[in-house]
Amino acid sequence: MFHKVRLTIILLALALCAPAFQGRADSGGASMSQKADTGGDCSPCHRTSSPSMDDLLPNSQCRRPRAHENLREDDAAVPDVVTMGQLTDIYVPVVFPHGLHAKMEAIGNGCSACHHHGEEGKIVSCRTCHTESTDPGNLRQPGLKGAYHRQCLACHREWSHDTACIFCHAKRGALGEAASKPDPTDITGKLHPNVTVPEKKVYPTEEQEAGSMVTFHHKDHVDLFGKRCVDCHQKENCSRCHDSAGPQKHVRQDSHEDCVKCHDTSDNCAKCHKDHEEGPFDHDKSTLFMLKEFHKQVACKQCHTEGKFAIGKKSCKDCHAPDWFSKAPKEFDHAKAGLVFSEAHKDNECEACHPNGLGEAPDCTACHDDKAYPKDLPGQRVPEAPEAADGNK
Amino acid sequence: MENSTFDRRQFLCRAGAVGLAGLSLAQPALAATDIAEGYGVLVDTTECIGCRKCEYACAKSNELSDLPLEGFEDRSVFNEPRRMTADAYTVVNRYDDTAHPERPTFIKVQCMHCLKPACASACLVGALRPQSNGAVTYDPWKCMGCRYCMVACPFQVPAYEYDHALTPKVSKCSFCFERVSKGGKAPACVDICPPMCLTFAKRSELLTLAREKVKAHPEQYLDHVYGEHELGGTSWLYLTSRPVTELGLMEFGEKPIPEYTEPLQHGIFKHGVPPMLLFGLLAVATKTFHHKEDE
Ligand code: SF4
Ligand code: SF4
Ligand code: SF4
Repeated sequence: MFHKVRLTIILLALALCAPAFQGRADSGGASMSQKADTGGDCSPCHRTSSPSMDDLLPNSQCRRPRAHENLREDDAAVPDVVTMGQLTDIYVPVVFPHGLHAKMEAIGNGCSACHHHGEEGKIVSCRTCHTESTDPGNLRQPGLKGAYHRQCLACHREWSHDTACIFCHAKRGALGEAASKPDPTDITGKLHPNVTVPEKKVYPTEEQEAGSMVTFHHKDHVDLFGKRCVDCHQKENCSRCHDSAGPQKHVRQDSHEDCVKCHDTSDNCAKCHKDHEEGPFDHDKSTLFMLKEFHKQVACKQCHTEGKFAIGKKSCKDCHAPDWFSKAPKEFDHAKAGLVFSEAHKDNECEACHPNGLGEAPDCTACHDDKAYPKDLPGQRVPEAPEAADGNK
Repeated sequence: MENSTFDRRQFLCRAGAVGLAGLSLAQPALAATDIAEGYGVLVDTTECIGCRKCEYACAKSNELSDLPLEGFEDRSVFNEPRRMTADAYTVVNRYDDTAHPERPTFIKVQCMHCLKPACASACLVGALRPQSNGAVTYDPWKCMGCRYCMVACPFQVPAYEYDHALTPKVSKCSFCFERVSKGGKAPACVDICPPMCLTFAKRSELLTLAREKVKAHPEQYLDHVYGEHELGGTSWLYLTSRPVTELGLMEFGEKPIPEYTEPLQHGIFKHGVPPMLLFGLLAVATKTFHHKEDE
């Protein structure tokens, strides 16, 4: 069992926990991300205070054995991704991040940690020795399926605390394809098994005028707004998730550091800081542009092409044929645009309100010095139900 | 349904008559030496990850349940140790290891396919039989439903289809008898096991393999192959890293159960005070004849 334990320890170390060995020993189980945050404690093994997958940087003091004789000098010869699909039946082929594992090799037991029986200095693939099914004449050498699983599980059993098949395998759907096609490069910017996206997080914050609670709809940011994990989780410390003490908190230097990438946090604090838990994003409420029938089904990024939602939006004309706007006002059912005119406005020419072009925001100043859209409306918003809109010319 | 009860009743009547006529129906148990060259499975419990794929493959291959794969992904079943049931010939249990909490031990259990099976010895009508390939098979057509085998089995293996009112059967791992003997394949559970912790081969080869493993990795295995000698030996063998008693397996001596029970059974039956007259007579005939044959 110890050769496995050893492997596991190595990978644990690789999973950026090396400092914890010291940390644990003398601090009686202080969490390692705390150690990383206080800085300096990682230095016995790393040349960085917060080792991440990008900057593992083991230093010369690193206690983990290195097998230089087995180290590949030519990085190009190390395949980044190996797809294992020869034996799949219930599951779709496994996309194995070989490159990521190869990186760990430098402070592990060399490539031979996995490529165990090759001639020294030579790396042979698993299939060179392991046949598809166990050779009855050689029971000592498991078939390919056993070889793969034993090799992976020797470390993953302890390291990830998870032996569920779906940790690595995506299930086949009804048509034999993967039920969902996750982007395996998303999570860490490199191949990584899927993680479950939390629905929402509620953070207590410093006291603000409007309240001291921020509701972060995590899943919406991924599913609706198309954020990738790596957009926020950059240089994440692996031990935050892969630590026998359980997941650690995501600690940021500046609590706004991820938000500012998209949101302007300089003034409108009340937009996020509330005295209550906020519901999920509601386009109608937040933008006053009510999404109805058709637009409700349009993916955000079809209109908001830049990814930043306040700017870079497509104009209606990009999708709607020009003659849709050029129709005489009498023929155009403005209710479809979400607003029914008041008596005073219903006979206006389109250009009177839309001097900058149809489909652009209206300008009230030609007639009203003191009015401005969307604070003031030339009529009434159409209520939710689409039927009502249709019958309301 | 009707038909099969009738068949069974008919069989029992005939068996009774034949038995009374002094013919042996219960198959003489094969001597252990005959089946020592049979097949077996070596369960390397140190490699088992508790994925329950073996349970899934067994249920599917033996048509025990329609549960899809997802039905076997629930790991909360490990909170309580389970036994085999009428629709599960095999179950996997988890045994936490206080020394290595991150690495619990998983134990797959099923019929051990004893070389000298107590179940077969207890069965009055020879429905359970050790075969020369290592399997202990069950013939539902001979079974009269007395469930003596369930009481007799030291590993508490056989289950019973209590909810089949008309033709309930005893249920236990078949060693995938058809699949192995006719299809030339390994048992379904062996085939599916991802880390290949189940090895199917001749029992003698498995013992050699087991000893080699223990020798090569003394830190990984206890120097004991469970099933090599227990109760006269079993076709299914286990390698463990922890004492079997910590893993829900019982410790046994080397003497096969039938060697304790058979003289007793013979004694009762010889003096003509069986619990049920018909089967008693049948047994007397069987066992007496059995004896004569041996001489
Ligand atoms: S384990 Fe029980 S049921 Fe299986 S062969 Fe042995 S005595 Fe019979
Ligand atoms: S040998 Fe066959 S019947 Fe027995 S447990 Fe395995 S799959 Fe089930
Ligand atoms: S399939 Fe193999 S690894 Fe999975 S639970 Fe069964 S014996 Fe263990």
